[in-house]
Amino acid sequence: MQPTNLIRNFCIIAHIDHGKSTLADRMLEVTGAVDKRDMRAQLLDSMELERERGITIKASAVTIWHEVGGQKYELNLIDTPGHVDFNYEVQKALQACEGALLLVDASQGVEAQTVANAYLAVEANLEIVPVINKCDLPHARPEEVAEEVENSIGIQAEDASRVSAKTGMGVKELLDSIVRMVPAPKGDPNASLRCLIFDAAYNEYRGIVVYLRVMEGTIKEGEMIHMLGTDKVYEAIDIGRFTPSMKRTGELGPGEVGYFVSNIKKLSDVRIGDTMTRHKGPKVEMLPGYRPPMHMVYADFFPTNTGDFESLREALETLSLSDSSFSHEAVTSEALGFGFRCGFLGLLHMEIVQERLEREHDIDMIQTAPTVNYRIVLADGSTQEIHSPGQLPTPDKYEKIMEPMARVSIMTPSEHIGNVMQIASDHRGDYIRQEHLSPTRVQLIYDIPLAELIYDFFDKLKSSTRGYGTLNYDISDFKEADLVKLRILVNGKEVDALTSIVHKDQAEFRGRQAIKKMRKEIPRHLFEIALQAAIGARIIARETISALRKDVTAKCYGGDVTRKRKLLEKQKEGKRRMRQIGNVDIPQKAFLAVLGGDDAEGSED
Amino acid sequence: MSSWADATERNPCAACYNSSVQAPEGTPLYVHLPFCAAKCHYCDFYSVPAEGHDRHAMVQAILAEARLRAPLHPSLVFFGGGTPSLLDHDELRVLLDGLDQICGWRSSSLETTAECNPESLDQSKAETLLALGVQRLSIGFQSLDPATLQLFGRVHTVEDSFAAYAAARAAGATNVNIDMIYAVPGQDPEQWQRDLSKVLDLGPDHLSAYNLTFEEETVFRRWLEQGRLQQHSEERELRFFVETRAALAARGLDAYEISNFARTGRECRHNLNYWANGPYVGLGPSAVSKVGVTRSGNIKAIGAYVRGALSGVRPEAWEETPSPLQRLAETWWLGLRTRAGLSAHEARVRAACDADDAAFLNEARALEQQGVLACANDTWTLTPKGLPLADWIAKRFLALAD
Repeated sequence: MQPTNLIRNFCIIAHIDHGKSTLADRMLEVTGAVDKRDMRAQLLDSMELERERGITIKASAVTIWHEVGGQKYELNLIDTPGHVDFNYEVQKALQACEGALLLVDASQGVEAQTVANAYLAVEANLEIVPVINKCDLPHARPEEVAEEVENSIGIQAEDASRVSAKTGMGVKELLDSIVRMVPAPKGDPNASLRCLIFDAAYNEYRGIVVYLRVMEGTIKEGEMIHMLGTDKVYEAIDIGRFTPSMKRTGELGPGEVGYFVSNIKKLSDVRIGDTMTRHKGPKVEMLPGYRPPMHMVYADFFPTNTGDFESLREALETLSLSDSSFSHEAVTSEALGFGFRCGFLGLLHMEIVQERLEREHDIDMIQTAPTVNYRIVLADGSTQEIHSPGQLPTPDKYEKIMEPMARVSIMTPSEHIGNVMQIASDHRGDYIRQEHLSPTRVQLIYDIPLAELIYDFFDKLKSSTRGYGTLNYDISDFKEADLVKLRILVNGKEVDALTSIVHKDQAEFRGRQAIKKMRKEIPRHLFEIALQAAIGARIIARETISALRKDVTAKCYGGDVTRKRKLLEKQKEGKRRMRQIGNVDIPQKAFLAVLGGDDAEGSED
Repeated sequence: MSSWADATERNPCAACYNSSVQAPEGTPLYVHLPFCAAKCHYCDFYSVPAEGHDRHAMVQAILAEARLRAPLHPSLVFFGGGTPSLLDHDELRVLLDGLDQICGWRSSSLETTAECNPESLDQSKAETLLALGVQRLSIGFQSLDPATLQLFGRVHTVEDSFAAYAAARAAGATNVNIDMIYAVPGQDPEQWQRDLSKVLDLGPDHLSAYNLTFEEETVFRRWLEQGRLQQHSEERELRFFVETRAALAARGLDAYEISNFARTGRECRHNLNYWANGPYVGLGPSAVSKVGVTRSGNIKAIGAYVRGALSGVRPEAWEETPSPLQRLAETWWLGLRTRAGLSAHEARVRAACDADDAAFLNEARALEQQGVLACANDTWTLTPKGLPLADWIAKRFLALAD
């Protein structure tokens, strides 16, 4: 067991692409944790999707050893997810650390995400170690970036470590700074056991692996361990550190970070943020801030072939082994039959789940446009939560609808401030305040309905700031709004999977946009197709897809067959990801038409 | 014709063949002559200007390839291009005689066609072709409008076309086809009807009338994309299509395929074989062959083709063997283009596909419900509504092969 004064626990806070994974890799290499020839780029991002997107979805941890002044220190690096969807997970990872490296790209500067996570670290009383990366590049402007850090987060940054994770420049010195600046953990090895679960993952060979940080006491193999939040008891079968491979130690003392393996069946039996203690030991307080996953975004998944419902169920269940933060429950749609309503932490989380279903489980499915959850106050004063537009009762049945609001922080180069304010007001945003971070960068704070963020706010922000605008948000509260149900009819038949809830003032515009988009996505049929948008009984917009009358190749001889077949194969509408409603084939993209996006507006014929 | 499936099982005769996939005796033969007087702006067939190329070497190369892989006693022969009529008398004699020595086509071919262009077909050329064993001449008129011929980049005049037709008849040709193109930008449907009528007054045995297609990688396609040419609306093209069929039927030339019309008994058997997804061997640059279930194509570039063939190696550029379900989809697609149509059984035999075809039959029935397919005595055909939708229908079948 390592004495606490020789332990340092830290994480790295950084924006996507600012070099977090590269820095982690370099640290592993410099300290000899990983042999240079075993080095895969970005060792800590283990999921294929994480590597591809360059983002961290799951937290992970690694123990490295670093010598300073003849003393061997145990440094535990806890890699946190970088995206707002996983804010709660970030908080829990921070709770396992005493320090945080604030890694900023020397040419890009501070981004909204970085600031948000840095604040979380400050709130968690972590020592912030500013680090400016990519200092080897010609466009590096470390002085200005240091000023941005000081202005945006309010910490001293003039002595920030200047490194190049790519070349390894300054990494050894940075490790020395960590030992010097990050406080050692506290904790009595003989006190009653309290461990924080900051992550859990499914491992093909070991089953469920719990990531833990010992806060007090010592956890030992063979003991019965009680998880307080879920009230479950497991035997500690295997305890050890990540080096980065799992290395058994038999026990972990206060301040140490490692893993716990037992016969846990499902990932959902483990809750991030939960407290572990000794079963039947002295009663201990739960560690603060624990809560079950909160779903902010909902979407329905339907199998493309109605017969595949059971395979979709199995795929969702298998997936929840490695991702316990999405929920799924069976639903029925008049238009699409049996499917599942799934709840996600946010939009990115939804995309990840959808991609993993398709990639890892080869499931063809139709996904409806994502929606937020609404609170309905009924006539009798009771409240009801709905997470599907179809569940909204007729207006006479309820008093009011409340929608979730987000406190949004946007960082942008000052020249785009006018565009950003315009977009925020188009999305029903309430201006709160603005702050100048440096002469060229500004932070804007708005309250914006979450539904508007989902609609197309991200895309619009990116395109109006030439990609430089970044944003972060927190759900603040629920607020009453004048919302109506927007229905879509295809050849006079209402399609429940296309229903959405929109603000009354935007309903006509969004209805028109939705069916315009559908007109582009739905292939022509042999008959005319009428698309209508309706609010209540009133039709507010109509589009027509004309009947296909002629589609024939004039010349088709022996020398043409292969080429023409390939041409036809390219043109044909795959049966995949299409659903028939009435006698109209509707492709997946049309189901997302009620969302905004880049192609909703722009050039119309 | 016998079924195509067992054709592959017949034993190829011969020590003189050295290619791994040999076509059985009797397999139809196509010979591609890549030279043209000028490249037409709408054409995507492989051809090069005749000037500056060694036609003699090309003839020798085709004969060399024929020694490698021509089928013995082909039942049908088609000289296409390019413009076969561009070859001079001696070149034609060397090629056609040489081929006969190699595979004996003159005694076996039931129909031998040569494509001709008006600028290179006079009476003596026609006489030579007929004397060498050609039975059917196909003449590319394309249009009776001088401005359109110019737009197409054709090098002949309207008068040349009529003269070439007269020359063919004077030489004794008893089976003559005329090629025409309609739905040309700016063309008036009524003017087209008048032109068509003038062509019919000549009394051709066969007529191919094509809706102008803006093929990829053609001058026309570029002009379309640049806005220099305007395609007719779908409704108007449909009108051209329907009126062309009606006008030709009224004059005794029935449509037996989307773009092909003939007096009874004068249908082009060589092309019918393509739509039956039958086997064929193609010689010459870019020529495609289908032997068994494998389709393959020759090198396009003339120099490389000639060098390859003369060195005794088949100048093959690509090869593909579609999956059984793809073959079945292709067979439905091609077969439905014809008046005769096809039955599910014929489709399986022609495609050499014994996979379950229930999905194809279900699709056919669904299309019947939509009024684009009809079924009589187990034979499926396109309805008048379905004819102009042949590609849309083909895509439905191709989707089943995924």
